[in-house]
Amino acid sequence: MNNQRLLILFLLIAYIFSPTLFTWVVNPEGAWYRPYILWAILILAAFIFQRRSNSDDL
Amino acid sequence: MTFDITTIALIGIAYLLLLFGVAYVAERGWISHRVLHHPITYIMSLGIFASAWSFYGVIDLAFQFGYGALAYYLGTGALFLFAPVAIAPLAQLARRFQIGSLADLLVFRYHSQAAGSLVTAGMVMACLPLLALQIQAVADTLQIITINSTEELPDALNDWSFREVMALAYCVLLALFTVLFGSGRDQHPGLVVAMALESLIKVVALMAIGLLAVYGVFGGLDELDQWLLDYPENLELLHQPIHDTASHTLLLVFLATAISMPHIFHMSVVENPLHKTTATLSWAFPLFLLFLALPIFPILWAGFELGVNLPAQYFTLGIPMQMNSPGFTLLAFLGGVAAATGAMVALCLALSTMLLNYWLLPATRLGRHNLYRQLLWSRRVLILLVFSAGYAFYQLLDNNYSLTHLALMAFIETLQFLPGIFAVAYWPTANSRGFIWGLCLGTLVWMVGLLLPTVFGIDHVTVPVLDKEIGLGIDYWNTITLMSLGLNVGAFVLLSLTTRTSEEERYSAELCAEDELSHPLRMILDVHSADEFATRLAKSLGEDSARKELKRALDDLNLNRNERRPYALRRLRDKLEANLSGLMGTAVASEILDRHIPYHLPEAKGTADINLIENRLTKYRSQLTGMAAELNNLRLYHRNTLEELPMAVCSLGQDLEILMWNQAMVALTDIPSETVIGSHLDDLKQPWRQLLEDFSRSPMPHLHKQQLDLGGRSHWISLHKANIASPVANSADGQVILLEDMTETQLLEQELVHSERLASVGRLAAGVAHEIGNPITGIACLAQNLKYETDDPEAAEDTAQQILSQTQRVSRIVQSLVSFSHTGQQDKIDFMTVSLRDCAEEAIALLSLQKDKTQVRFRNHIDTHLSVRADSQRLIQVFINLLSNARDASPEDSEVRLESSIEGHFAQFRVIDQGSGIPAEHQERVLEPFFTSKDPGEGTGLGLAMVYSIVEDHEGHLDILSPAPGQTLGTQISIKLPLNLESQHESGNTN
Repeated sequence: MNNQRLLILFLLIAYIFSPTLFTWVVNPEGAWYRPYILWAILILAAFIFQRRSNSDDL
Repeated sequence: MTFDITTIALIGIAYLLLLFGVAYVAERGWISHRVLHHPITYIMSLGIFASAWSFYGVIDLAFQFGYGALAYYLGTGALFLFAPVAIAPLAQLARRFQIGSLADLLVFRYHSQAAGSLVTAGMVMACLPLLALQIQAVADTLQIITINSTEELPDALNDWSFREVMALAYCVLLALFTVLFGSGRDQHPGLVVAMALESLIKVVALMAIGLLAVYGVFGGLDELDQWLLDYPENLELLHQPIHDTASHTLLLVFLATAISMPHIFHMSVVENPLHKTTATLSWAFPLFLLFLALPIFPILWAGFELGVNLPAQYFTLGIPMQMNSPGFTLLAFLGGVAAATGAMVALCLALSTMLLNYWLLPATRLGRHNLYRQLLWSRRVLILLVFSAGYAFYQLLDNNYSLTHLALMAFIETLQFLPGIFAVAYWPTANSRGFIWGLCLGTLVWMVGLLLPTVFGIDHVTVPVLDKEIGLGIDYWNTITLMSLGLNVGAFVLLSLTTRTSEEERYSAELCAEDELSHPLRMILDVHSADEFATRLAKSLGEDSARKELKRALDDLNLNRNERRPYALRRLRDKLEANLSGLMGTAVASEILDRHIPYHLPEAKGTADINLIENRLTKYRSQLTGMAAELNNLRLYHRNTLEELPMAVCSLGQDLEILMWNQAMVALTDIPSETVIGSHLDDLKQPWRQLLEDFSRSPMPHLHKQQLDLGGRSHWISLHKANIASPVANSADGQVILLEDMTETQLLEQELVHSERLASVGRLAAGVAHEIGNPITGIACLAQNLKYETDDPEAAEDTAQQILSQTQRVSRIVQSLVSFSHTGQQDKIDFMTVSLRDCAEEAIALLSLQKDKTQVRFRNHIDTHLSVRADSQRLIQVFINLLSNARDASPEDSEVRLESSIEGHFAQFRVIDQGSGIPAEHQERVLEPFFTSKDPGEGTGLGLAMVYSIVEDHEGHLDILSPAPGQTLGTQISIKLPLNLESQHESGNTN
């Protein structure tokens, strides 16, 4: 239940910031690997979140 | 550079042999358990998601769509990123009900065999292009690296006979591998490890080619950036197509692949070895995808830079060839073969399972003999058939389509399953009609728009009336996708909202939509032992298989064959159904179980399966949050209160199933709660069964002092009960029974009675002493006379005779006192037939000795023949107490009457006096211990209480009437004792 609330919050934030993010990612001036950086950050966030929820269980 | 055909064939075979070897070693258990069950192994095995298309085809996609190609990884990655929400509910569901394929899941949810057959058909159609894609990729790359023909290659790609031969050989080898390692029933550790190894090879190969592209071709990252600045059109290519709507459709299509591709579902759910993996999956799998996606653009650009003379989709192989690096070329080739192999094997397994469960099993009735063997061989044949179909489709298309086209064709059909799958977990209103029609419409559009035009080479149709041309085929994939999905979702939603859902489907929908904690009803089974399951299942499965299945289910649940508890039997049935659906699909399994071991709805509504709810709550406690967690804490508090209550409590369902058995109950009965909870009252051991059964059926809310023989010692138990109000209907849902161990109280009471008796003995002693005094004086006088009568023998004899009669009188008096002071018999079993009149007579004789008390006339009118089964000593005590009370209350010379009558099964006797009577305010209390209206020192206040307790022990009743009927004064105490105590007692023993 908690997870879903977090998901909704995340989607809201993603929605609000998506134009900015999108512009940043597809900016022709930037490095070609920008989307990958964003992706890596997401993975890191998921990893941290998972670690935290695991330690909650214990 | 090229390779010799034999070298490549040998390398290919060596690689496949390595795969066989690894799978074999894992299957034999030679690989350590830790490696086998490590999350990384599992996550790598999920890498089959990246088929040959993501190894080769995705470069072409990047060429066409720029960043849009990343949608393939991002769609899937996002789904796994939210695995705890998006995938976990499905995975849990699948694990709980042993769902083995996508078709199983959909059939389970929509409760329709037709849905299963339809889903299977759709999946087979969707997978054919994907299978053809893998075969084509392997065949093409084989040809590319064996023919030295940078000039003539594009031509050669189209028509080369040995390519088909190689493709066929590859298919045969793979089919063999799949049959050997994937056709068994259980999880396949060999398969999982082999797939993990393949993913490893594939990701290493792709990364290596990526590094080769960056450092080998461009000379480093900075040089790559410089190259991009020099050729800005390449960067343009990245961004340009992303504004196209096609990219968004692409994202949608790729999202579908992650969840509705049958092989991904098979690996992520069926072969899932771990519980906790889903959490790790959420970051590890996107990371794996990141590694796969990272080299795409460098490879594309390096291909441009080198001017590789191959279609963009084979740049991965073309770059190392162009750079004349045999090592990297081989690695790239093997990576491609690995990618294709993994996808092929998993696809064929998933498809063959579905075909078996939804086409073959419902259509043919397998014989009852040797079921497992039949299933195994059916599956093997189906695996071979699927491989053949894939190869045939590949031949049919004749290499006319690029890998991207084939992949899109497959993915667009799998997209049609997405609405139905999402509704499984998130939309309980959806029903089978909506799902089937939606799927049919979507698939029809796909077939007409994509599949048929591709197979028959049609690129447009003309609408006859409007004379308008409609474009068909892969060039219009975007429109066809949106149209098919739109129609599908529209029909699904519309029909689901407007048509009625069957009761069973609604039940399944609730099971799927809610979390694990709702499975409310306690269904009723007409099976009473575990063995009966085997007998009944044998009718469908054959005796041997039925026995094996039963043993398997019993082992899984940790139960034994003697199990009789309804709760356990219900679990056993569910487990059997789950295991069977793992073996032959949800539809067939539920049909078999429903036929032979049907569930009946409980008669009373709202009969919750408390034990199951309890079990689940305990198991998932750590997952509860917020309100649910608080409610659970409240539940635990109440549960512990009951559990630790220092009084024995048990609760029974309406069907007399034991739902609760607390600690005190365990201590009292010596029956551990885990063996008794969930069982029927009938299966309880004696004497508890009799006691609880009689009490739960009797209308009386209390039952006092039931004597039980426990471990050779007598115990007295009082029982109390109350009905439990049902939370749903306005009715009772069962009863709670409280057991009170009265043994200590009973023993104390007995001691008290004894003391009271001794006190009466003391009181009587004075009278006795006085009474003895008279004959003693007489004896003394006679003895004196005897001295002077020595010469008259006749007179002496006469005197001696008188002395003897006096001593007899003395000993009779002493005897009656002694017999009164005896403890008497405590056990009912030692009761004897006694005459009421004789007992009363004895008491009168004793009381007459007390000359210092008020002298009254005792009139004993009790019937001479009236006898009851009782303890005579205690009965005399009753008379002594009643008569002495009557005498003490009566005026001098009055009369105390004793009368008797027979009322039904009872003998009644009454003690009626003409005394002052009992004041109304005292009448309530006279039976209480220590209540007395006499002066201090005169009475203990235990007399009537003792009478009451003795009468209770004899299962009689005591009534007090004051004033006595027909009199203005006086008291009548009437006591009823059962006449047939003897027969009752005997029948009680035999029960």
